[in-house]
Amino acid sequence: MNTAARELTIALAGNPNAGKSTIFNALTGLHQHTGNWPGKTIEKKVGHFTHNGFKLSIVDLPGTYSLAAYSPDEVVARDYIISEHPDAVICVIDASNLERNLYLVVQVLELGVPVIVALNMVDHAESMGMEIEKARLARLLGNIPIIPTVASRGKGLDQLLTATLEFVSANTMACNCEKPTPFRVDYGKDIESAISKITNTVTANSVPMNGYCPRWTAIKLLEAETDIVKRIGEISKGDLVLNAAKSQISHLEELYGDDVDIITADRRYGFVSGMSRQVLKSPSVKRETFTDRVDNIVTNRLVGLPIFMGVMYLVFRLVIDVSDPYLNWVDSVINGPIARGLSALLTSVGAWDWMHSLVIDGAVAGVGGVLVFVPGLTVLYFFLALLEDSGYLARAAFVMDRFMRVIGLHGKSVIPLMLGFGCAVPAVYATRTIANRRDRLLTALLIPLMSCSARLPVYLVFTVAFFGATASTVIWVLYVMGLVVAILIGLVFSRTFLKPDENTAFVLELPPYRLPTARSLLLHTWENTREFIRKAGTLILSISIVLWFLLNLPWGVANQRDSYYGQFSAAIAPALEPAGFGNWESAGSLVTGFIAKELVVSTLSQIYTGASAEEEAVPMTVSEEVLSVATSFGEATADAGRTLVSLIPGINLLGTEEVVEDTALSHALRAGFTNLSAFAFLVFVLLYIPCIATVSAIKQEFGWHWATMSAVYQTFLAWLAATMVFQLGTLLGYG
Amino acid sequence: MTQVGIPLSNLRPGQRATILRIGGNRAVRRRYMEMGFVRGEDVLVERVAPLGDPIEYLIKGYHLSLRQADAGHIMVQVSDEHSR
Repeated sequence: MNTAARELTIALAGNPNAGKSTIFNALTGLHQHTGNWPGKTIEKKVGHFTHNGFKLSIVDLPGTYSLAAYSPDEVVARDYIISEHPDAVICVIDASNLERNLYLVVQVLELGVPVIVALNMVDHAESMGMEIEKARLARLLGNIPIIPTVASRGKGLDQLLTATLEFVSANTMACNCEKPTPFRVDYGKDIESAISKITNTVTANSVPMNGYCPRWTAIKLLEAETDIVKRIGEISKGDLVLNAAKSQISHLEELYGDDVDIITADRRYGFVSGMSRQVLKSPSVKRETFTDRVDNIVTNRLVGLPIFMGVMYLVFRLVIDVSDPYLNWVDSVINGPIARGLSALLTSVGAWDWMHSLVIDGAVAGVGGVLVFVPGLTVLYFFLALLEDSGYLARAAFVMDRFMRVIGLHGKSVIPLMLGFGCAVPAVYATRTIANRRDRLLTALLIPLMSCSARLPVYLVFTVAFFGATASTVIWVLYVMGLVVAILIGLVFSRTFLKPDENTAFVLELPPYRLPTARSLLLHTWENTREFIRKAGTLILSISIVLWFLLNLPWGVANQRDSYYGQFSAAIAPALEPAGFGNWESAGSLVTGFIAKELVVSTLSQIYTGASAEEEAVPMTVSEEVLSVATSFGEATADAGRTLVSLIPGINLLGTEEVVEDTALSHALRAGFTNLSAFAFLVFVLLYIPCIATVSAIKQEFGWHWATMSAVYQTFLAWLAATMVFQLGTLLGYG
Repeated sequence: MTQVGIPLSNLRPGQRATILRIGGNRAVRRRYMEMGFVRGEDVLVERVAPLGDPIEYLIKGYHLSLRQADAGHIMVQVSDEHSR
């Protein structure tokens, strides 16, 4: 026996909602990593493990209904199978929705790869009274293994793996079109004769097909699929094949009076329908299911919208309130024991002061800036996964689509936008639930206009200092202003450079409600959180270090005003003059606000009151430090628990809201701003450049081009709005 | 079949119909077919979203929603007026 483990690559294909990712997660567990497909921003998941002496790589293809290459997802899935030659493709199909799922299976089979079918959710199909003749289905699909599974409960997965490995070992020809698989869709006399005329051209002229299966290529050429036409045109003598296809297309179109791809899709569906009629016995009377009963309520004309608002409010509160105690805990651990420990260490090795400051004020502060997002993100990712896996997300999109269409968006955009009120970073990542790239992009560009929670401290400090009793009204006005501006910008963008794609129809499946498994929820949460720390984290950290240098160069600056940062702030200050706050202090605080919006307050406080609010470190032993970290974590958990309980109406364990006191900062601010310029400043803070974390999230999802676009347009918008507020206000005599 | 039929978007919830023809541009037609909107298929209008659009349909045993304007491209013949 061969001692070296044989390496196998197996791809998972399937319709959205067929349970593909559940199978992927169950097979690969934590041994998976995510990345992007080459040249595409669509997420790629790969998992590795060994089984019976095989080294397996499982590739999770995007969930698609077809391989027709109309959406980026479909192109990715198809290109992977054609050009990467996986050893086998496992098609995961929803047993309770056999016919539509088989349509994809047939398309994968047509590519000429070894296919294994996982007949998933058989329990659900059986509970609906459906019976599937597996042996017969296997025969009709060309003698391929069909394994019933219930992935959410781990049933049938061992059998699936074993069958896959056996099948692959028996079919070593992997992807070899020279030995045609016994499976074929019969497209009818005329189309079949057109196909053979094209394949005959290939053989007669011995055209090198570069690994493309001739029959499949002939079908795709008849369907006039542009990227296949292009690729065949690139190979030598490819034009002979293209010409043959062209004459066949015109012949067929004359014959049928319709596009060939419509005829082939029709025939393929006819084939699949026939197959499904032969193997499926389902009850003739449709019973009202649990999903129907729930949908009668949550998509109801009267209560559908209020329920959606309630769900959003709940998620929002949970994300903010539950994560808040943990956020403070992370913050205190980093700035407490970790900073103190490192500081002591540096002192003991006799590090220079500047090195000390670089590590503590630059690196540790930077890492802290990344990590404080983590608790909120973790909670958010959890609830997003819950909403998506349970099926509610599709209903939310259904209910809100008409409203979102006004600003040129899809119903699914509503969730990321609402999340933007919490934090724009996870909101940008949440756009991943939207299939169409243009819709995703427009949504991501509008998200930073939703006033995030980090801007609230800025509003609070200013409104308390300037507007007293009307403070909360002013804050409310700012939130509404963000929404109104988002609607206007959405209208403008979707009528200019982000026009809706005419070729995509809105097609939204409303899958049956399902109870998500804890395993898949936790895996999703973990995966997304790790992704954030890895990608956004490195960028935020490096920018923080750069900023530290700006604050501390040229060497030996005593005053922030004289550092490069201070000089830069002073240089841009005149540009803010028309908006009413053209001094270096405001400009400087806005510059640090780019790192995180709440820093606007701490910078102002540092500049105006000269004191950073840092307490003198109390010397503690290592064991005391560890103990305090543990106890404060316990307290955070208790706080989160109390907050959760307090969400139930009528129970309040939190006591009354704390009042922001009139501080030294308020006095200082009143000296530097008028009521009007303070309001203009807040408008600027609401609209200007998103924070580094958001910009890097946009960069990660859409590239530098759009990240820059987002930063530039918003800064311009902020300047325009703040200037308008200040100038109009002055004219009206509020100055 | 030569009937012209009526647009699917004209149907009320609870009405059942048979698909006669799919219009619209090529990419959109192809998409509908792949989702199961093929000639001769039965479709049931399930419900209308709270804001009047989109509309949920039951086709090939699963639920799908389409916007009114898109459903207007699908021509059907009403086959059954069962009340719900």
